[in-house]
Amino acid sequence: MSRVRSNEQTKEHLHKVVAEMYDKMVKGEAPTMTLPVRTKNNITFDSKLGVYKYGKRKSVRDATSLGSAKQLLRALHVVEFIEDMIDSGKSSTLREMYYISEGWGYGKFGSQNDSNNLAEDLEVITKCMREDFKLRPEEDGSRIIGNLTINELNRRGEWMRINARDDVGDSGYGVPYNVESEKLELLEHDIDFIMAIETGGMFDRLIENGFDEDYRCGLVHLKGQPARSTRRIIKRMSEEWDLPVVVFTDADPWSFRIFASIAFGAIKTAHISEYLATPSATYLGVTSDDILAYDLPSDELSKQDIQALESQKSDPRFTDGWWREQIEMMLEIGKKSEQQSLAKYGLDFVTDTYLPEKLGELGLA
Amino acid sequence: MGIADDLASKQKQASISEFFEKNKHFLGFDTLQRSLITAIKEGVDNSLDACEEARILPTIRVEVKKVDSKRDIIEIVIVDNGPGIPRDSIEKVFGQLLFGSRFHAIRQSRGQQGIGITGVVMYNQLTTGGTTNVVSKIASESMAVSMDIGLDTKRNKAKKSNESRVLWNEDEDEQASGLKVTARLKAKYQKGRQSVWQYLRMTSIVNPHADITFIDPDGEVSHWPRVTERLPRKVDSIKPHPRGIELGQLRRMLEITKQPSLSSFLRFEFSGVSTRAAKEMCEVAELAESPKIHLHKRKPSGIKKEEIRSLVEVFQGQKGFIKGYRGSKEKHTYVEGAKKPGMPGEKVSDLMHKTIMSELTGKGIDDAIAYVKNHTDFYWEESIQELEEKILSKVGEGPWDENQTDLVSKYMRREWDPRVTFQEVKLLNPPTDCLSPIEEMLIKKGLSKAIDSRFVSTITRSPNVSHGNPFQIEVGLIFGKGMPADSHVEVLRFANRVPLMYQQGGCLLTKAIEEVSWKQYGLEQPGGKGLPKGPAAVLVHLASTNVQFTSEAKEALADNEVVFEEAKKAMQEMGRNLKKHLAKRKKLEKTREKFELINDILPAIAEKSAGILERPIPDLSKSITSIMSAVIAECDTTWNKETKNTDVEIRIFNYTSRSRAYSILAKWPEKEGATLENNEVGGRKEVTGVWTWKLPTLEPGQQYKITYSLGGLEKGDWTETEIFYRGSGDIIGAMEMDEKLVKQIRDQEKAESEPVVNEENETSQEVEHSEPASPPKEKGQMTLTGGDF
Ligand SMILES: Nc1ncnc2c1ncn2[C@@H]1O[C@H](COP(=O)(O)OP(=O)(O)O)[C@@H](O)[C@H]1O
Ligand SMILES: [Mg+2]
Repeated sequence: MSRVRSNEQTKEHLHKVVAEMYDKMVKGEAPTMTLPVRTKNNITFDSKLGVYKYGKRKSVRDATSLGSAKQLLRALHVVEFIEDMIDSGKSSTLREMYYISEGWGYGKFGSQNDSNNLAEDLEVITKCMREDFKLRPEEDGSRIIGNLTINELNRRGEWMRINARDDVGDSGYGVPYNVESEKLELLEHDIDFIMAIETGGMFDRLIENGFDEDYRCGLVHLKGQPARSTRRIIKRMSEEWDLPVVVFTDADPWSFRIFASIAFGAIKTAHISEYLATPSATYLGVTSDDILAYDLPSDELSKQDIQALESQKSDPRFTDGWWREQIEMMLEIGKKSEQQSLAKYGLDFVTDTYLPEKLGELGLA
Repeated sequence: MGIADDLASKQKQASISEFFEKNKHFLGFDTLQRSLITAIKEGVDNSLDACEEARILPTIRVEVKKVDSKRDIIEIVIVDNGPGIPRDSIEKVFGQLLFGSRFHAIRQSRGQQGIGITGVVMYNQLTTGGTTNVVSKIASESMAVSMDIGLDTKRNKAKKSNESRVLWNEDEDEQASGLKVTARLKAKYQKGRQSVWQYLRMTSIVNPHADITFIDPDGEVSHWPRVTERLPRKVDSIKPHPRGIELGQLRRMLEITKQPSLSSFLRFEFSGVSTRAAKEMCEVAELAESPKIHLHKRKPSGIKKEEIRSLVEVFQGQKGFIKGYRGSKEKHTYVEGAKKPGMPGEKVSDLMHKTIMSELTGKGIDDAIAYVKNHTDFYWEESIQELEEKILSKVGEGPWDENQTDLVSKYMRREWDPRVTFQEVKLLNPPTDCLSPIEEMLIKKGLSKAIDSRFVSTITRSPNVSHGNPFQIEVGLIFGKGMPADSHVEVLRFANRVPLMYQQGGCLLTKAIEEVSWKQYGLEQPGGKGLPKGPAAVLVHLASTNVQFTSEAKEALADNEVVFEEAKKAMQEMGRNLKKHLAKRKKLEKTREKFELINDILPAIAEKSAGILERPIPDLSKSITSIMSAVIAECDTTWNKETKNTDVEIRIFNYTSRSRAYSILAKWPEKEGATLENNEVGGRKEVTGVWTWKLPTLEPGQQYKITYSLGGLEKGDWTETEIFYRGSGDIIGAMEMDEKLVKQIRDQEKAESEPVVNEENETSQEVEHSEPASPPKEKGQMTLTGGDF
């Protein structure tokens, strides 16, 4: 399953980016960098892979404005930096790279967001992954609890066998940033499905109520917008163990987006959707109709919420009828609710009533 | 003149102190805070006036000390380097209300606005019981004289005490002169928008030639240095213009004049009155019950009350002539409500007949009457009725066929003359050299010294006249860093160089600012009306021989349409300048970015990419051309400390793939007396204030530099140079020359340089009073760039 490229291949791909700039200058033109458009307007469904990928639309960043010229120069610095790391067998975090760029003169980054984006740009253009670039995120991965066993290569180079129920404390198994097979193996399990949960509060509630054991499932805490490694390990568990995945989030446009990134692929990482997305994942709740059906405590939609919903109406990932309905309904009632609002009916309501009802509909309980 | 009349009459009945007590609100001594500002204002205004008169560059020090905080007793000290006051006059100046010069001459002076320095002495005495100390040094005496002045309020006379000779200053410079006033008042010191500090700061803005130091009660020193050595122009006083005269004033003038007859009185004691106008005025003013001898021959002192009133009506243009009836002139009073009463007329042309036929055939009586009203300036209602009755009885009410309309036309032409007009006695405009505007460059400097910011635009409009009073509007706008961006702009109002600090909202000048739609010029203006918001301060100065206030408090200017329009126009012009500046700044920023791109970033990209690929560094000249694909002009204007010149450098780069030929034009302050030096490229004069250089052809990638210096200017006079081009293709950083405008300016200059034919015949010089003598130049249009933004 791992798709890591060889160092030589990575360099070759990066050199192509540099050559595009160089050749333009030799021709007496402004140097350019061509990359796919990275917006919702340029993601299309790949029926072979079952996920959303970038479409054919390209944008050309050319050095005719100061801003884009600086981007090109930064890209060159990053390429050089990556080559140095490859040659010296080192790696760095994205944050470290941002600080190192302080010494790059005109190529210095304005913010870490800029440097993260540029690393992603290079991934998208070269079709390499940042692991190929020896770049690590500092975003922390998620936590897992449930009766499943993992083999992880530790810092001393030894494989460690960890059961995510018996060998961990209350905080569960911490997912490392690299979850590829050279670092992490999925050994065995005794569960029926995986449940991905948006908030820590709900994750802890389910653990305290013993939900994982009662309903034979693995619980994954997403920590908001899930990191790549979280999405990747969910995908691996789903595929390698052939387990259904359900997603349990708040009822608001941002949670819809979280689900889309797990099931369909995120817009920002659409170039590697096939490695990150789990097309079989199901949205469990909280749904728009739950807000009414369970008469949940709710908040008014904010202006940004409404904007996000409106934008999702033209997002190709939400074209299916069920999602349309959810979005329209939320706009209509003008309200959103948190997962934890279920506590209105008591601390056990979610594990005793809500989730069993929901899982029942899916034939999982 | 209101106060003067008031005081003069009231003085007789009430004791001065009673009078003062009763009227302190309009004398400026109503609150403890305001009293302090008023006292300092009286003193500083006097210092500035005296220095100006004596052609001395003023250096003024103001000190405020708290003497007794519990009882709010404050000591103020005002020291100037003016001419001083001779010993024998000190008593009068400081101890006699209304001794000042201001009520005698009509000209622009600060003094007009206050009760005078005696008011301070009086307030000092009323609130503390003490005297005011005056030290005066005149140049012709080696020692200064010091005395304490008090008032005998019953007799309106000064009481001096403790007179002695003292040294004026330590250096014992015998030539030195000056005046020092020390007074103690019940007053309160405060900071903020209505403070002594703000008053002095504003004063320093409009008096860039003054050096002002302020020491506040905490000993904190504020210093506004002199930024120009140029003294304000010496102004001549002028005779009053009839339009601005009131009844009481005319009565007094008639009493004291030495002229033998009313017509010579009018001719020589007023401005704008020709011999013929003087005679006509008398003619129109004459009443049925006037004595047999014609008014113009009578002695001024013998003119009766009703006749004086009638004369004022002529002055105001209420009485005049009706002209046009059989070519005659008939004196008449213009009754405003009865606009356009009908006039019987004589034969009107065939053309008239034709239009009447075409407009009224098939129509009826109502249309005919409407037609008459629409085509007449002036008619009597009764004669319209007469005409209507005649047509109705002879032709009927219509609709008329052609024959009937022919008849109607006949009656109309016989009974009605569309040429009839009402005319006031024609007066010339008063001269305007009695005004002393601060002038654009100096306002710029004044503003720059008080507020640290980048962009300043100032405009001095040409003088104009309202109700016989010459006036002139000046505005300034300062914009940029150092000022709060999210609050209303600061408004700095002035009348005759005196800051107006109270009643901002009710002032004509504020209203003029609010009337302008600032949004289009780049300032925020919530709701599209009112004071704009943004990092800016707006200055408005009215210079006038007769400043009209809303009340005796003299803090807000009264509404006046002509002044308002002038102020508004000035604001709009300034707004256009601001907009231009903002656009230019944006463009400059863009150009700067492009230069950074090609000078720094692109070479770095070339070097890095070549390094990574291990290939030679590519030649960038073609890439640069394709990135810039423009001709770019850069211009620096800098003050050269050593040479005391303003150095200008203009660089033109051709970053296109074709060769280019241009002429470059630059504005320079020729009218302001600058000299063009070290201009090695040569060139020629385009029009006054604009120089042209023809450049050799610029090949792709080539650049050309023009350098020159401007002499005869002071630092800060000229900080930005506008450049223009003539030739193929746009230049970023320069504007295309508007050839029409150049021609217009050239024609105007030609016209100005031709000697003015001074005709003796007065009638040919007569100007309709309501218009200014020469229409004010629309500066906004006459500048090379104005108007089109
Ligand atoms: N600081 C001064 N230096 C010289 N002369 C002064 C000074 N202050 C006042 N005077 C003289 O005294 C006159 C009276 O002053 P003031 O009572 O304030 O009336 P005004 O300012 O209206 O003339 C002035 O016109 C001027 O001649
Ligand atoms: Mg005075």
